[in-house]
Amino acid sequence: MRRWVYFSLVPVLGALFWWGMQRDPGELKSVLVGKPAPDFELSLLPPYRAEWGERFRLSEHRGKPVVLNFWASWCYPACYEEAPILEAGWRRFRDRVLFFGVNTQDREADALEFIAQFNLTFPHGYDPRGKVGIDYGMYGVPETFFIDAEGRVRYRHAGAITAAELEKRIREVLP
Amino acid sequence: MSPGVAGNLALVLGFVLTGTGLLLSVLAWWAKDARYVEAAKRAAVVSFLASLLAFAALEWALLTDDFSIAYTAENHSTKSPTWVKFATLWAALEGSILLWATLQALYTLLAARRLRDVWMAPAVLGTLFGVQLFFFGVLLFVTNPFTPVPNPPTEGPGPNPLLQNHWMMAVHPVLMYLGFVGISVPFAYAVAAMLARRYQSWVAETRWWTLVAFGFLTAGIFAGGWWSYEVLGWGGYWAWDPVENASFIPWLLLAGFLHTAMVQERRGMFKSWNFTYITLAFAATVFGTFLTRSGVIQSVHAFADGPVGPVFLGFLLLVLLVGFGLLSRVSAEVRDLGGISLLSREGLLLGGSLVFATMAFVVVLGTLFPLIVEAVRGDEVSVGAPFFDTVFAPLGAALLLLMGAAPLLPWGRVDPFAARALSFMLSALALFTALSLFLGAGFGVALGVGLFAYNLVAVVAQGARGVGAWRRKGEGYLAALLRYLARARRPVGAQIVHFGVALAALAIVFSQAYRVDAQKTLEIGERAVVAGLPLTLRRLEARDEGFRFAVVAEVEVSGAGRMYPRLHYYPTMNSPLAAPHVRYGIYHDDYLILQAFDTEEGRWATLRMVRTPMVLWLWVAGGIILFGVFYIVSPGFARAARGSEVTA
Amino acid sequence: MRLLWPLVFFAFAFAQTPTGEPPPDLPPEVFRIASELRCPVCQGESAAESNAGVSQEMRRQIAEMLRQGKSAEEIKRYFVERYGEWILYAPPKRGINWLLWLAPLIGLLVFGFGFWRYLAEAGRREAELELSDEELKALERRLEGE
Repeated sequence: MRRWVYFSLVPVLGALFWWGMQRDPGELKSVLVGKPAPDFELSLLPPYRAEWGERFRLSEHRGKPVVLNFWASWCYPACYEEAPILEAGWRRFRDRVLFFGVNTQDREADALEFIAQFNLTFPHGYDPRGKVGIDYGMYGVPETFFIDAEGRVRYRHAGAITAAELEKRIREVLP
Repeated sequence: MSPGVAGNLALVLGFVLTGTGLLLSVLAWWAKDARYVEAAKRAAVVSFLASLLAFAALEWALLTDDFSIAYTAENHSTKSPTWVKFATLWAALEGSILLWATLQALYTLLAARRLRDVWMAPAVLGTLFGVQLFFFGVLLFVTNPFTPVPNPPTEGPGPNPLLQNHWMMAVHPVLMYLGFVGISVPFAYAVAAMLARRYQSWVAETRWWTLVAFGFLTAGIFAGGWWSYEVLGWGGYWAWDPVENASFIPWLLLAGFLHTAMVQERRGMFKSWNFTYITLAFAATVFGTFLTRSGVIQSVHAFADGPVGPVFLGFLLLVLLVGFGLLSRVSAEVRDLGGISLLSREGLLLGGSLVFATMAFVVVLGTLFPLIVEAVRGDEVSVGAPFFDTVFAPLGAALLLLMGAAPLLPWGRVDPFAARALSFMLSALALFTALSLFLGAGFGVALGVGLFAYNLVAVVAQGARGVGAWRRKGEGYLAALLRYLARARRPVGAQIVHFGVALAALAIVFSQAYRVDAQKTLEIGERAVVAGLPLTLRRLEARDEGFRFAVVAEVEVSGAGRMYPRLHYYPTMNSPLAAPHVRYGIYHDDYLILQAFDTEEGRWATLRMVRTPMVLWLWVAGGIILFGVFYIVSPGFARAARGSEVTA
Repeated sequence: MRLLWPLVFFAFAFAQTPTGEPPPDLPPEVFRIASELRCPVCQGESAAESNAGVSQEMRRQIAEMLRQGKSAEEIKRYFVERYGEWILYAPPKRGINWLLWLAPLIGLLVFGFGFWRYLAEAGRREAELELSDEELKALERRLEGE
């Protein structure tokens, strides 16, 4: 009997580790999923003030799904990979979905350079301390949260997002 | 000839020669012909030379800044100092596997030189060649450092900056691997013993090897702790992270094995238990590499390092399968007999072994627990220092209790001397625990002090017993002492090790309980008391050191000189690495970290002061433990070099 | 010991606090609480050890909450609400986590039981081999007779 206990340990361990290696690191559950998105107010980076005002408050934008992206200029290459994808997504869905970028723990000058480099047209707030990131339970930049029209978090993606993933998750939060 | 070509040639050669060695060993086993064994031993020599050649080829590439192979292109920089260039060989995955293969070939060679038992020799060699073949195979087919780069760059990123930050990092991995690989020898003997059905004698035959592996592993762990302390910049030496745990598991299993092996040696008992121990200890070395390379456990931000994870997983499962297969045979065939009373040396040795096994179980479960919970429930949990510290405290206390008493008791019984010594020890325990409590210590610290006193009395009592035996033969005090020290290498060495462990435990208890950590921002010229120490920030200075950029703060400690904590900026890292200034002290260390500084005008700096008691004694304890192990194994080195039978 | 971590995760890399203002002054209590919390962007480092931007912000928030008179438990709960229990380095004692907390006891009991079974059997086998006085005398007589 005891022998079978030993032997069964081998496939059990093997299966556990194999499963462990197959996990998708981008699929991180967030405790926020299904809960109201934490509200925040940030000052906007200068290029967006003309259109969006001095400050941005999330709760003032209910009624439209929000794609909330956390990024930083020092996050290379992931943030650099996804920036054009996000911009393309914004241009495609801008009448139905609001995109908002939270520049996290960055220097303002570096952030502006990044924005200019990718010609990002959706609004970006400036959060040098990363306080909003902590409120969202962020693991590390980049991370993207999908918030539905009622203001609930529906999905969190960790790491650089792909165009297909972005579209799929946007369709999920669209009414 | 270029390093890449030479290296690949050497790897192919090593692979083929190792395979030949394995084949010859198998032939020797089937044909029962000792001539094949002799041929296999020669294969061990030449395959070691091949591994040395591959090692030399990689060093050649590194030292001559040859970027035409993948390893240098990815991990090397012309700007590194020469010692960093040399140590870059084991700074990244491919190179460290090459180091592993080279050391494995070395151990195979050394083990082959001393094989006398014709029945077991083919199986011992076969197992070692099998392990060696795995590493050569991985090097050749999975993580080949000599993979040619089509368009060689002229400069590379250099090795991990954490490595360059302290010379210890050149030493620590080598010690660690010497320990890991060392376990393969007793493992091979165990496998051979099971195959040849010689269940009893292998534990005595491999004792020397086991102790050597144990010594290197201990040295590697202490070196790693010391490196952590000096480099990671938070004033700690052990964080219970999966990588550290991976090195601790084989150590615990080996320690447990050493103790039940004594019971087998003396009483012929626990044969299948010992076989399990050494199999798991060896499997744990593979497990550790799997764990750190597969991304399976580092949770969220881990990405697999290519196919290395699955390959090591396969090898791990193979080792376990072979081990359990043989185990089921042993447990079916071996019928140990004998009674053991709990109050005897063997009784307490078993108790110690039980605690070691439990500790290993706790570390394995704690390390894997996040994975298990995620698989079962989909939740994410973390298991770290606060958990391990809590559960290891009572286990450690139990171990310290057993450790003092076991060597004092004779085999099979309690004698009046041991009973008297035990009563002294327990009195010391009670007295010093009570005294510490009276002086205001917490219970944990008080118990730590009491257990240290208990073990101190134990060491003295054991010495008194050993010297007394020679005194009764008519020797003077000094002569009796010298004879005891010279003749009783094993008990004396064990006593030294045990004393070192007791001291280490005391240091850990104090450093955990009374550590103070505080952070303060000072303007240039400003003075403030940080963590009880009056500090004045004198100046900030930036230095270009070629391969890195350093910012140095000059801090005056009132009445105690100046300290120079630094921040290092490496080109490949976007955040600076702190290089703390550590001032070791008999009572406590002052550990000053430059946390941040005014990058615009250099007007302020943020300092973090960590004051931890007794850390110095932890390193002293490590030295004492190593000296004890060395005391036992040292007579064997000359014999091992000559290739004759070694015993310890 | 952390050499083995492959430092290739630029995606999750971190920077020194980029703002011009200095980090806050922190009393020892902050580090004590932070050491029980995980640094979210790091591998195997607590918020007390790591110098990642997030950890610095966590320490700052801990200091602020302490100044507001919050207890260590309340502070930990604040982070659990945001990160889940994953942020705690000692999992709370309930549900499946008991398996972990009781691991030392489980280990001692299981291995201890194994030892006890083994010893009972080995002792029985030895007893079976032992001869009674009469058997011994009979054997001695036979030997002498031969």
